[in-house]
Amino acid sequence: MKAFTITTAAVLLSASPAFAQFGNPAGLMPDTPESRPGVPAPGHANVQDRLFVKLLGMGNAGEVAAGRLADGRARHAGVKSFARRMVDDHGGAARKLESVAKPLNLPVPAEPDPDQKAAQARLEGLNGAAFDAAYLQAQLVDHQKAVILLHWVISNGQDAGLQSFAKETLRRCRTTCDTCRRCSRR
Amino acid sequence: MNRLPATLAVLACAAAMVANADPLPADATYRPLPTKPFSEVKRLDEAAKPAVQKRQADLLAARYDLSNRPIPGVMMSGGRRAVQGGVRVKLPAGTTWDKLAAMTPEEIRERNLLPEGFKPLPHVKQATGGQVFPQNQIDTIAQLEQRDLRRFDVDFDLPDHLTPEFPAPIFLTTKPELGDVSRGQVLSIRNYYEIMNGLITPVQMEGLRLLLTPFPQEEFNQTEDRKVAQQSLGVACLDCHTNFHSNGAFHLTPDVRPQAARFRLDSTSLRGMFNQQIHGSKRSLRSIEDFSEFEQRTAYFNGDHVSATRKGPNLPDRTNQVAMMAQMQNIINFPPAPKLDWRGRLIPSKATAQELAGEKVFLGKGQCAQCHVPQTSFLDHNMHDLQLERFYRTGEVRNDLVMQPDGPIKTFTLRGIKDSPPYLHDGRLPTLADTVEYFNLVLGLKLTTQEKEALTAYLLTL
Repeated sequence: MKAFTITTAAVLLSASPAFAQFGNPAGLMPDTPESRPGVPAPGHANVQDRLFVKLLGMGNAGEVAAGRLADGRARHAGVKSFARRMVDDHGGAARKLESVAKPLNLPVPAEPDPDQKAAQARLEGLNGAAFDAAYLQAQLVDHQKAVILLHWVISNGQDAGLQSFAKETLRRCRTTCDTCRRCSRR
Repeated sequence: MNRLPATLAVLACAAAMVANADPLPADATYRPLPTKPFSEVKRLDEAAKPAVQKRQADLLAARYDLSNRPIPGVMMSGGRRAVQGGVRVKLPAGTTWDKLAAMTPEEIRERNLLPEGFKPLPHVKQATGGQVFPQNQIDTIAQLEQRDLRRFDVDFDLPDHLTPEFPAPIFLTTKPELGDVSRGQVLSIRNYYEIMNGLITPVQMEGLRLLLTPFPQEEFNQTEDRKVAQQSLGVACLDCHTNFHSNGAFHLTPDVRPQAARFRLDSTSLRGMFNQQIHGSKRSLRSIEDFSEFEQRTAYFNGDHVSATRKGPNLPDRTNQVAMMAQMQNIINFPPAPKLDWRGRLIPSKATAQELAGEKVFLGKGQCAQCHVPQTSFLDHNMHDLQLERFYRTGEVRNDLVMQPDGPIKTFTLRGIKDSPPYLHDGRLPTLADTVEYFNLVLGLKLTTQEKEALTAYLLTL
């Protein structure tokens, strides 16, 4: 069991200063207001920012729901512990996302996306070790996708607050990927 | 801990989840189309440029000593630029190279002590990326061809003295007795025939013409999605590989996505291509023909054939044009190394005691020769993963580059290495002394100061 201890190396990063990246202005929406030439005024999200908030918001909701299911159903104590951590982490991430999306007037979805709902339904049909393995595998895929999504908004988004949030979240997300991989091998 | 059964049923279930999943946004892989008029993009890019350059200059100054400190009496092969000396990567406060070398990777990582200069080097503007040429290349091509290689959004970021000599000399395997045949000029579409007539075959001449012919490229083309002021004919292969060497021009790897994760690429030399079996830092293409043919969609268009098709790629004919381009590249020789024998080993009567000591380190304690095999042009035709991520927390962001593990990178030749600064695939190491410190740490060699100095002296003989 000791070997299955989930690394809780959740490095709480100090928030990066909220400077937007130097983006490619070719991708700015034509009506983007600027605080100075080439720099979008604060509070104006682009299409990628909006999509990011939507996808990550749904993702967080799905992770919390899956984590609650796994906390109740997983056979292995380590998987249960991991699931509880996912509920905490993604609940926290959801709140943080709310706070950075609010100045942009972007609603954060509270429901998982359709794929997560379908995955949840499949998980609900499993028990025991099969459930544990399927949950961890789904977690790995979800977090791999989240890593890409975070990279993507760091490249293609424009709001400094969201980008700062993405940079902060990226490392935690990568740590979770590592944990999923380690757990799945055991 | 009981092993969790990874049954086929579970794998099938996971596969089903993946198969049904919504894909991530398309521009996580593909280049988005521009949304603003060209004139406005140009205005915004130009307005942001001073701050972009300052941010990069600040990063470089924090990482490196960029001063002009040549090694006395050591010049690059053409005799046009001095080789820079000394370790230029700055140490974190309170440590020394020896202290660092005595620590485990885990300690260095936990205490955040890996020198910043050992971490991946960002492009000047990660979100846009693309080819950036040094000023000497821009000026020369403007003069010779009236073609503009200047970008309005970014400038080259390294000082001249930390880049290869310009123009680089050209050595031909077919004319070793002549030495440098460049006449001190930059080969261009305007002058190549005059310079090379009588030196190369008709087939090679046609290959050279193609290598010097500009074709549309991601930042240099006719569309609104460009970073050059006027509609451009494009760039030529030898705009980066000036005189078949490198002018230090850099790019982002075409082999990684999303954009924030693409690492910087320092142009590699084309010298010694005849002995190189794999090509591309990541792609391991198996012939120079494969590389020359496909480069129109990789170096030119970032590995995005969709964008290439919109802007006009040149797709050279394999059996005629590609073969000729390859035949030209395959006669470019390494610079002379008078202290080396045919096996790539030092000739004792010609080498100093320090150089011989350096070779001993190279072949032994330094482990260099395990990949850089002297007999095969200091290559092993393999890719290796140095696992630098053991020493720092990946996922950190520097100037919009998300630093992550490099993964396997091909072994580059060390022949003529003093002519090819900066070093490593992304140019993160300004001098050979930096590379010695880097490998001393990463490979856990624990070399003494004397051994490091000897190794650096040896590298200068190659």
